[in-house]
Amino acid sequence: MSVSSLAPQNSLEVASIVRDAAARRQAIEIIGGGSKRALGRPTDAAITVDVSGLSGVTLYEPAELVVSARAGTPLQHVTDLLAQQGQMLPFEPADYRPLLASTGEPTIGGMVATNLSGPRRLHVGACRDAIIGCKFVNGRGEEIVSGGRVMKNVTGYDIGRAMAGAYGTLGVLTEITFKVLPRAHATLTLVYEGLSCDRAVALMSAAVASPFEVTAAAHIAEGNHARTCLRLEGFDASITYRAGRLIEDLAEYGQPQRLDTAPSQVLWREIGEARSIIGPADHVVWRLQLPPSRSAALVNSLRAMMDVSVLYDWAGGLVWLSHAAGDDMTAVRTAAKAGGGHATLIRAGEALRRRVAPFEPQATAVEKLARGLKQAFDPAGILNPGRMYAGI
Amino acid sequence: MTQIAMPQPDPLILAKRERIIAGLQERVPAQWVITEEDERRPYETDALTAYRRLPLAVVLPGSTEEVAAILSFLSRERVKIIPRGAGTSLSGGALPQEDAVVVGVGRLNKVLDVDFANRTARVQSGITNLAVTTHISPDGFFYAPDPSSQLACTIAGNIAMNSGGAHCLKYGVTTNNILGVRMVLLDGTIVDFGGETFDQPGYDWLSLIIGSEGQFGIVTEATLRILRAAEGARPCLLGFDKVEDAGACVAAIIASGIIPVAIEYMDQTAIRICEDFAHAGYPLDVAAMLIVEVEGADAEIDVLLTHIEKVAREHGARIVKVSKSEAESAAIWKGRKSAFGATGRIADYLCMDGTIPTGQLPYVLNRIGEIVAHHRLRVANVFHAGDGNLHPLILFNANDDDELERAEQAGNEILELCVEVGGCLTGEHGVGIEKRDLMEKQFTSVDLDQQIRVKLLFDPDWLLNPAKVFPLNLHPLPLGRAA
Amino acid sequence: MQTSFSLAQLADSDTRESEKILRTCVHCGFCTATCPTYLLLGDELDSPRGRIYLIKDMLENGKKATVEVARHVDRCLSCLSCMSTCPSGVHYMHLVDHARKHIEETLPRPFADRLMRAVLATVLPRPELFRLSLFAARLARVTSPLLAALPFQWAKRTVAMLALAPDTVPMRSPYSEPVTIVPEGPPQGRVAMLRGCAQGVLAPEINEAAVRLLTRHGIEVVFAEGEGCCGALVHHMGKQEASHDQARRNIDAWISEMDGQGLDAILITASGCGTTVKDYGFMFRDDNAYAQKAARVAAITRDVSEYVLTLDVQPPTMPSRLVVAYHSACSMQHGQQIKTTAQGLLRKAGFVVKEVPEGHICCGSAGVYNILQPEIAGRLRERKAANIAKVTPSVVATGNIGCMTQLAGAVGVPVLHTVELLDWASGGPLPRKLMKNALLAQHG
Repeated sequence: MSVSSLAPQNSLEVASIVRDAAARRQAIEIIGGGSKRALGRPTDAAITVDVSGLSGVTLYEPAELVVSARAGTPLQHVTDLLAQQGQMLPFEPADYRPLLASTGEPTIGGMVATNLSGPRRLHVGACRDAIIGCKFVNGRGEEIVSGGRVMKNVTGYDIGRAMAGAYGTLGVLTEITFKVLPRAHATLTLVYEGLSCDRAVALMSAAVASPFEVTAAAHIAEGNHARTCLRLEGFDASITYRAGRLIEDLAEYGQPQRLDTAPSQVLWREIGEARSIIGPADHVVWRLQLPPSRSAALVNSLRAMMDVSVLYDWAGGLVWLSHAAGDDMTAVRTAAKAGGGHATLIRAGEALRRRVAPFEPQATAVEKLARGLKQAFDPAGILNPGRMYAGI
Repeated sequence: MTQIAMPQPDPLILAKRERIIAGLQERVPAQWVITEEDERRPYETDALTAYRRLPLAVVLPGSTEEVAAILSFLSRERVKIIPRGAGTSLSGGALPQEDAVVVGVGRLNKVLDVDFANRTARVQSGITNLAVTTHISPDGFFYAPDPSSQLACTIAGNIAMNSGGAHCLKYGVTTNNILGVRMVLLDGTIVDFGGETFDQPGYDWLSLIIGSEGQFGIVTEATLRILRAAEGARPCLLGFDKVEDAGACVAAIIASGIIPVAIEYMDQTAIRICEDFAHAGYPLDVAAMLIVEVEGADAEIDVLLTHIEKVAREHGARIVKVSKSEAESAAIWKGRKSAFGATGRIADYLCMDGTIPTGQLPYVLNRIGEIVAHHRLRVANVFHAGDGNLHPLILFNANDDDELERAEQAGNEILELCVEVGGCLTGEHGVGIEKRDLMEKQFTSVDLDQQIRVKLLFDPDWLLNPAKVFPLNLHPLPLGRAA
Repeated sequence: MQTSFSLAQLADSDTRESEKILRTCVHCGFCTATCPTYLLLGDELDSPRGRIYLIKDMLENGKKATVEVARHVDRCLSCLSCMSTCPSGVHYMHLVDHARKHIEETLPRPFADRLMRAVLATVLPRPELFRLSLFAARLARVTSPLLAALPFQWAKRTVAMLALAPDTVPMRSPYSEPVTIVPEGPPQGRVAMLRGCAQGVLAPEINEAAVRLLTRHGIEVVFAEGEGCCGALVHHMGKQEASHDQARRNIDAWISEMDGQGLDAILITASGCGTTVKDYGFMFRDDNAYAQKAARVAAITRDVSEYVLTLDVQPPTMPSRLVVAYHSACSMQHGQQIKTTAQGLLRKAGFVVKEVPEGHICCGSAGVYNILQPEIAGRLRERKAANIAKVTPSVVATGNIGCMTQLAGAVGVPVLHTVELLDWASGGPLPRKLMKNALLAQHG
């Protein structure tokens, strides 16, 4: 089957393409910059729709903390624009190109479709939490508006937010509006060295349960050079005070080193990109979301079975893990589930992603509803079919 | 009475009332099935008393399993279901119908499990919002969304309406603070959505369920994200002689790079009403007042408040008064959170809930004044200024039908104004019955049809909290708009 | 809230008042959250907002009370927690009083129910009769196991009533007669103290301690000729005629003192009674002969703690670090809106005072509620006892005899009136209830 490639320039054109495809029952693969194309199940589509032509920031009101951008707008463009006004997307979107060894320009649409958030997710929420409005084209080729440009809005169901993490299977995103936040005046990272995973998770849990507003906590477990990092952000005086209190309260974990703003920014970007566990190209990478208190024990149990590289983020709520592709592919998911969490296969070869479901299988009742929801948005089943789960 | 139309009760349902009641009594102990007219009467309305409908019966289940048995029975019998929390909705979200059974979750009011290490609390949905925080506050934690009715409103109702509150400028609204729910579907299936961890795989069901106004199912349990409280918090009062200055000051504070945990606005009418009740030391001689609260350690609070005072003075604040004690802070918040109820001391009121871009505050406040004056009524303005969520209280006399009609008309005009300047009809109270017929001002019928298709997935026969959210002419999906 | 009363209905004074009250309610529902019965039962009908709506419907339509309406109004403790919570200022007390009267007048209750109410209304306000009945109760208690096994509400109520009777009946107090007690030096003030009914029999030591405390500070105390029960007990049963008769007697007694030697205040040592006496002005608002006199009495009525606060209380003669859990009676904190007075006095007297968690919720006593609604009252007592236990006190202090009786057996430590501790601390004798206590050794 030959794949035709289309590049609409506006939402009207997107709608028209989808309508035609729906009439012909032809599957569409939606592509922005293509940097995360290797995430999820491979899609077999007759048409690729490249939305990078839908580009540009359509609204930015710094005093209202709101920015709107078309789906194909490069993420970098938006973050640069916000930075000029001392603002940011709060959830710290990460660049997955190093991890996936991909190229292309990450876009706003791809960021929302995958709902992947960086280290600040713990503190301020995920990408989905920052979405306040959304425009998309559903599987019937209708342009749909949900939400708006104001911070608080419960007018009608929140279907726009549900676009986050739907991997384009419910609609083609055309424009998204976000709540933004001021960037911190300064950043300080406290780095504790040489802690075991158990001790590190205990340290991070204590830190984020303190009143001192730790905005990120991660543990880089690389052999005998383990580092546990806590981030504080805000005004200098405030950071100094909070750091002092934290160090005092956490004295049993040793004396941390301090990284100030510039090196902190580098460090946390690398943590968000999971640089420390990327490993050789034939290693698979998992992203596990777990109750933090159970994550270290779970990793220890896996270590007993295979050789794994591990990075704990979100105070242990997120565990990045890589191992050789030849290893048992069921072990990680089984362990995550037993620990009350779930695992997503982020990096694996195409063949493997066809064989092993990248996303945690769902409970029967939920799966049934998921099929229904897909039907409600995309009755012909043409939008990124099978990208998340077979059949939806 | 009011202009909002309600569907005619289904005579077939009314005719089998006895059978329906008997069926309910088989599924829950008879004392929790309310059937006498006298006793059904108090369930005919919620906190929006302009709308009233006597329900067929009221049932108060004591467990998720009982809820499941009830829903499965009622849906089989094609009986409409009105979910009810504490009945504090200001949009008529819990308004019954004559052919519907009210299913109340008031008895499901327990904390099931608190996990401080993982910062979650699992609760039954009928617990009140404030009871959650009261339960965990001895350990220094709190549940962030804090609607003004938090003393009485339930987590179930918060989930239905995606409730906000004064402090959501920093901490977000309900949808940002729920990790999982246990929901009973119409056919009695009990389904867990989300869980103990962030970002569950598959579709974001919580986005859809939270804010679905009880039209997808009945939530009986929820896993809440709980947060560690800051070391301290301190509100300050900023008094302005011009309403416009207060509006501009809000934008200036935010633009300066500070996000206070709350910025609340009150006009002179509201200030006087609330001061009378709470004795909080509000300035009575200003045109408008902002309550700005910041958090942190004392030294940090001092820095932030100094900065805020500077911005405020630059924007015409005549009075800057920082709370000096916990008791004073509590009184300041008590006054604000009781604003609606306290208004009852002087008049009946309709409480609006539109949200606008904060840059439009000065313009919109002026226009609200004009609209209300045009209808020969008065207004008290009290709202969450930081996020532009307005609560004009239109004062009227409920025993005067003409005044009620004028109040409703003024309310509609104010909400249309909110949409016109780029805002929305409702920021946190929900559409309910009250704003149902205005939905087409904000959305096209194509937009609404997409929402309705999601609803039909859960409730194809419009049995759950019917006649709300969507204009009646849009449901069921007419021919040519097939699902 | 919208109301619909006819002009004819509004000609009635009670209805007119109730209409005014209903108009202030905005139906926000805040009151539900602090209502003890709603907390336990989760049914709006057993919440203030639900009752207000039931009452509104009954009064607007001029309906006779039904069994259902009476059931939910009867379950109301009249703790008035809702009035503390209500931002709109709804005067629930006057509304529910009106409803109780309407129910009493329009609903024929079953025989056993009527009998029980009649017995309580006859015995409790009459100290001599009550005293005798306490002796009888001790004997009758042998029947409790038998009664408890019966499936009737009257049987449960009887068991509850018998359980509340003390093991020993105190000696008759010298203050059960009209008497004036003068201080040693020249009097600094003159007050009347309510002798009352049940309290004088159950716990004469309260007024005795109050008299010692006051006279020690130069205050002359008079127990006026002719005064008796304040009327609250029957008032809460909707028996208006009886309650007004009792109140009139007290008004006459005190007015004669006010117009004679003069009074600075009328002091009440049971906050349940205080709430009612302070409301005399409203009760007699339409009574030409008594309106003015009642208002005068109400105006100078104080809880004993309020009055003691105005005195320059002597520093503790014998500082005690005893940990006191202060249980604020509903009639104190909600009925009279006295929130911190007693705690402040106790702290000043050297005690370590702990506030009880969930302190705004009733202990279940509520006059004769614990006899008429034993099941709910029992659950509230357990809940209160558990909350008191959280602060691990050595003693519980409160300002109302009803709460003292209700909590006596449930909390495992002595329950005293605030004035007993204040009297002790400023030079009075060790309270009887503390004598046997081992804590004497630690704290004496």
